[in-house]
Amino acid sequence: MPTASLRIVADGVGRRYGAVRALADASIALEPGEIHAIVGENGAGKSTLLALLAGARAPDSGTVSVGGVPLVPATPREALRRGVGLVRQHFSLFDALSVEDNAALGAELTRGFGVLDRPAVRTRLARLAERAGLDLGALGLPAGALAVGARQRLEIVRVLWRDARALLLDEPTAVLTHGEAAALYATLRSLAGEGRTVAVVTHKLDEVLAHADRVTVLRRGRVVGSWATGATSAEELTRAIMGDASLPTLLRLEPPSVAPARFTFSASEGGLDLKLEVRPGEIVGVAGVEGNGQRELVRAIAGLEGSSRATVVLDGVALSGGPAERRLAGLTVVHEDRQVDGLVLDATLGDNLVLGDLGRCDEAATIARRIRAFGIVPADPSVAVRSLSGGNQQKVVVARALDREVGAAVLAQPTRGVDLAAQRAVHAAIVEVARAGAAVVLVSADLGELRALAHRLVVLVRGKVAAELPIDVDDATLGRAMLGLEQVA
Amino acid sequence: MRRAKLRGLGAGAWPVVTALAAAVLVLDLLAWGYGEAPLATLGRAFAGTWGTPYGIGQVLFKATPLVFAGASVAFALRAGLFNIGAEGQIALASLAAALVGASLPAHTPAAVALPCVCLVATVVGGAYGAVPGVLRARFGAHEVIATLMLNRIASAIVSWSLAHGAALHGTVRTADVVAGARLTSLGTWLPAWRGSAVSLALPLAVGVCFAAFAWGRSSRAGREIAWVGLGARASAAQGVPVARRLVQAMAGAGALAGLAATSTVLGYKGYYEAGLGAGAGFAGIAVALLGRGHALGIVLAALLFGTLDQAGLSINARVPREAMDVLQAVVILVVALADVAARDAARREATT
Repeated sequence: MPTASLRIVADGVGRRYGAVRALADASIALEPGEIHAIVGENGAGKSTLLALLAGARAPDSGTVSVGGVPLVPATPREALRRGVGLVRQHFSLFDALSVEDNAALGAELTRGFGVLDRPAVRTRLARLAERAGLDLGALGLPAGALAVGARQRLEIVRVLWRDARALLLDEPTAVLTHGEAAALYATLRSLAGEGRTVAVVTHKLDEVLAHADRVTVLRRGRVVGSWATGATSAEELTRAIMGDASLPTLLRLEPPSVAPARFTFSASEGGLDLKLEVRPGEIVGVAGVEGNGQRELVRAIAGLEGSSRATVVLDGVALSGGPAERRLAGLTVVHEDRQVDGLVLDATLGDNLVLGDLGRCDEAATIARRIRAFGIVPADPSVAVRSLSGGNQQKVVVARALDREVGAAVLAQPTRGVDLAAQRAVHAAIVEVARAGAAVVLVSADLGELRALAHRLVVLVRGKVAAELPIDVDDATLGRAMLGLEQVA
Repeated sequence: MRRAKLRGLGAGAWPVVTALAAAVLVLDLLAWGYGEAPLATLGRAFAGTWGTPYGIGQVLFKATPLVFAGASVAFALRAGLFNIGAEGQIALASLAAALVGASLPAHTPAAVALPCVCLVATVVGGAYGAVPGVLRARFGAHEVIATLMLNRIASAIVSWSLAHGAALHGTVRTADVVAGARLTSLGTWLPAWRGSAVSLALPLAVGVCFAAFAWGRSSRAGREIAWVGLGARASAAQGVPVARRLVQAMAGAGALAGLAATSTVLGYKGYYEAGLGAGAGFAGIAVALLGRGHALGIVLAALLFGTLDQAGLSINARVPREAMDVLQAVVILVVALADVAARDAARREATT
């Protein structure tokens, strides 16, 4: 592989979106052979900085240079030509096309006269897939059939296909399990070891400290500082990220009542074969490798069209009908894909905050209360929810789900891609509904989150409960259970 | 803030201005192609439309069913549904309105006859519009295919009915509706418009169009219809009754289209005959696209297409009327292209 090193430098760059200043006078240097983490709260300017470095956006002020030469014109095409590849937070794969076609799309190998050279594509792809840790068995599948982790790898293959010498990744581990994330960093490490430049935007400080060489902290569009990871600590980084704002301590959980189950779920078809019982005030954590039935479980509980048939009982009443009826019965659900199942992106913030609640609440008061309680920014109900940062979009979804009379709450990845402060707000709200007596099912890829909130853990493997574990179980046992190696305790 | 608003208005007006410029240019080319002096043809077209009071009246008359049809298409479009079926909805509603209007006792007062006939047009159009809505919501049948088919079915029902007793013997027209069900010609009050067919249906159309959009903005069902159009999956997941809203959107669209009968049956002929009002349903698609989802936009777009229609008649002697069809097609294409361009520009404005 050609790996002439590529140093990427941003010098005093600034960027506005309309009236919002996303980034001001930010400087950063990405060194070849290093993994450079960029951290900060939602809306701190991380994604914007990455977009400027990758030519996806042009800076209003300051300069970006790649290999010592200013990046002009600041377009993704030019950046890619120079060897800078961006992997976005929301995937841009073509679900209907094969893995092979996705990888080569736009840079196909041909034999002349535009005839595709399939064998050459396969050879090259096999080599790159191995470099990126993508299972070779997947190459013929449509991209839509891949699990999230594999999709992530395919995105990386895509930029490697174009001979990227620098990889910039926007929250690559937000959708990955602990183990998948570690494997991804191993891949990134070996790519960096070849002299590539790697930058990663993330929220997860433990990942940063474990895998990155250098970390740059952004706060409110400005660079707060840059450290070698060996020379800093989680505490120092947290202070840098949050500024002077004091951290609210996580609410302490009361032990679950010994009352009989308030919410039960059982299903034995459609990829699910499990029974779940949750007592009032209890938070049951559902762990598992992505794609082992979590999505089906949540959809079946919600009663979405096309979901598996299941028996769902809340307060002794079997829930039937669609999401509307179940919601009225006191069930509240947060789906993992907030942009598709949670939000109408082109409607306003206010509309989204009362989506499904019209006619059952005082609209203006409800919107104001939900914005205030979760600190949604901007606090203007008339902006399109599409223009909100990912973390604030998630707050909208959670606010709408939890700010109501809740009998049972089913929350899938409620803090995915959300900054620390928002994470704490969401966690506090979850604890609050549990304390008020709701039965809570928390599906999360974040083991730290499960450990912090849940009373017990249920591990899903291929749609079945592979193990029930206490929250203080050690990582090794939990990991084995998630891989299906540990039998039901 | 103000500047942004003005720029937004500019972006909105830009497709219309481009469309007008294209229309004039193409008209010139067509006239030249037929060996006519372009400027003289343009002058004649103007004289036949906005140049004389009678011309203005005729433009308004032509625009009236287009306002209904445009509002119909735009209403369904809010739910993300493409109502190609206004044509059939108008035909069936017109026939039903004419039959009911003719069967009322001869001296029924207007206060009873008019609401009654309008209600029939609304209900028949709405029911016929609801059919593709149900097919879509229940079975996932695409509304474009369904409405196209239903247009043919409506046309068959109308022909069959006219041939089997709905029409006066030996004709393809129904009996006259009672006097109380007629909508007064505006020429009654404005002598300058005397002779032109513009009637009270025009203010009715404009009022209904604005009312429909106001309902969409402020009622629970209206807002949820728009949310379903913007994000059906999220709406379903959050408990919005998606199927019901889809059916309501199509029924509403059908009802709006059905009311077009007021401008032809009640305000113009006084009876229904085969082919009366044909074409308005399809023209309504263009009106809705040009109107860009605003009540005022739809009224203005209907005026533009009404003008083109009337202009075609007034230059008919020199340039074949089909030239106007070409012209309308060009306008639609230009509007679509300009719309895409304007949206791209707006997006760049917003994100860069």
